[in-house]
Amino acid sequence: MSLLIGALTIGFILSLLALGVYISFRIFDFADITTEGSITLGAAVTAMLVVNGWNPLAATAMGFAAGLLAGSVTGVVAMRFGVNRLLSGILTMTALYSVNLRIMGRSNIPLLNEYTVVTMAEKAGQRVFGTAEMSLLGWEVSVRDLSLLIVAPLLVAVVSVLLFAFFRTNLGTAMRATGDNAQMIRALGGDDRRMVILGLALANGLIALSGALLAQYQGFADVQMGIGMVVWGLASVIIGEALVGTRQLGFAITGAVMGSVLFRLLVAVALRWGLNPNDLKLITAAFVFIALILPKLLRSVPGRQRRVASA
Amino acid sequence: MLELEDVRKTFNEGTAHEVRALQGVSVKIEENSFTIIIGTNGSGKSTLLSAIAGAFPVDHGRVRLAGHDITRWPEFRRASLIGRVFQNPFSGTAPNLTIAENFALAARRGGRRGLGLAITSKLRCQMRDLVRELNMGLEDRLDTPIGTLSGGQRQALTLLMASWQRPQLLLLDEHTAALDPKSAEQVVALSEKVIARDRLTALMVTHSMQQAARLGDRLLMMHRGKVLLDLRGIQKKRVRAEELLDRFEEVRRADLLDESAAEMLARSYV
Ligand SMILES: Nc1ncnc2c1ncn2[C@@H]1O[C@H](COP(=O)(O)OP(=O)(O)O)[C@@H](O)[C@H]1O
Ligand SMILES: [Mg+2]
Repeated sequence: MSLLIGALTIGFILSLLALGVYISFRIFDFADITTEGSITLGAAVTAMLVVNGWNPLAATAMGFAAGLLAGSVTGVVAMRFGVNRLLSGILTMTALYSVNLRIMGRSNIPLLNEYTVVTMAEKAGQRVFGTAEMSLLGWEVSVRDLSLLIVAPLLVAVVSVLLFAFFRTNLGTAMRATGDNAQMIRALGGDDRRMVILGLALANGLIALSGALLAQYQGFADVQMGIGMVVWGLASVIIGEALVGTRQLGFAITGAVMGSVLFRLLVAVALRWGLNPNDLKLITAAFVFIALILPKLLRSVPGRQRRVASA
Repeated sequence: MLELEDVRKTFNEGTAHEVRALQGVSVKIEENSFTIIIGTNGSGKSTLLSAIAGAFPVDHGRVRLAGHDITRWPEFRRASLIGRVFQNPFSGTAPNLTIAENFALAARRGGRRGLGLAITSKLRCQMRDLVRELNMGLEDRLDTPIGTLSGGQRQALTLLMASWQRPQLLLLDEHTAALDPKSAEQVVALSEKVIARDRLTALMVTHSMQQAARLGDRLLMMHRGKVLLDLRGIQKKRVRAEELLDRFEEVRRADLLDESAAEMLARSYV
């Protein structure tokens, strides 16, 4: 049971990563690999501030802000200096590896004994439920796990609603149009390059926020924690699109969250069945590869038959 | 008023692919005039419109519009003065956004885009009235993604969007060339109507000599990056499609002559 709760909670925390990936990859069609550095950046900044006695909420907000900055660096490199998009992300990601090490001062910072947002949620839970252990549908669960399982989705819901509202403002609509048709938004007086920079900032802000929360949840920030995160986020987005079956804004946002949670559940089940954790990234990459080429394969099958028939 | 002063543009300068697309274009376009631009393929019509819209910086010369020297303005900034419809019906709209969202973007052409709600109920009413005029039944489908519509429908909507905020200048670049004949006719009729009703200053590139003869109050014919013919007033009114075709033929023959002369020279001297 605690395995299940853990998977759900991580799924919700990483759904902020999925939302960030959705913004850069889907809304802006920008394969932004800054992600792998910015998730660690969020974790590193928040961890350092928490260790130094900051209020955990303020520390988490600073993690988010650091992500905004990282995303805008990639945006400026790509859009103002005209560097290839993929390369811009790689440059920032590589630079962030050093930056993150500088911030943390070493490769790992434990947070288990610190006062974090997780401790805050746990305390609040204990006040509400009055115990440290309780039974849920006959299962013994710790109030810590339960409170997090309530707080994480609430937070994600708030972020999703804010995001949905933002993308329906004048600025947000122009940003969505930029990814769709940059020529059109220029012809209507929108600075498409600025839109992309803003979009990448927002995406990496969310990703860093995800990293900040993940570090506090798992009890440490690690300089390696970003590796593979782009593909994990993409896998969530793809699963979400399959679940909701449309790329319309509201559905897509909900889908990304659902996809992230489902993905974590699948991973937890696979690990439980004895999947070697070291194989996880290989399998995820293969999954994303198949999901990406599947639509093309499905389309080309009837085409091939037609060609054979006409030959 | 639009004023071009010795505008020049060379693509891929100094390479084997060098193209001198504009070789010194100077024209003044009066306010509220409707100018038709014709010319052979590759004569620089699209390049001229792009130079006005700011798709690239020109190599030489000045562009002035409505009292501003816009030569150095980036494309998106010029959009506060200029509405555009492209040849490709897919270029003017964002396919995954709804009709209403596309119109909301057009409503703020050149304006600030802040955190206000993009589609207010007032704006929705305005766009419904606007779209109803098309008689395409689209006013009831404001919330469908615009990418699901036909090229003709999208081009008609693009035209409404481009002219909505009464731009100082409307640029139409063969905007019916990619449409089927019936849609093309509809879009041309709509263009005429909108330009006349709002008394817009418009530049329209067309490959149809019928349209060129019938529409507008001025006609420019381009050739090899220059304005070869400039008809206005009574001359423009009287010109017939056949005469324009004759002019094309003349130009083509002159070109052939040029080429054979060059060839002859090459043969005798190289
Ligand atoms: N972006 C570009 N890069 C290189 N050459 C171009 C570009 N745009 C146009 N040209 C060339 O400039 C010339 C004029 O093109 P254009 O203005 O599109 O002609 P048209 O009168 O048919 O619209 C053509 O030879 C074309 O190949
Ligand atoms: Mg052209």
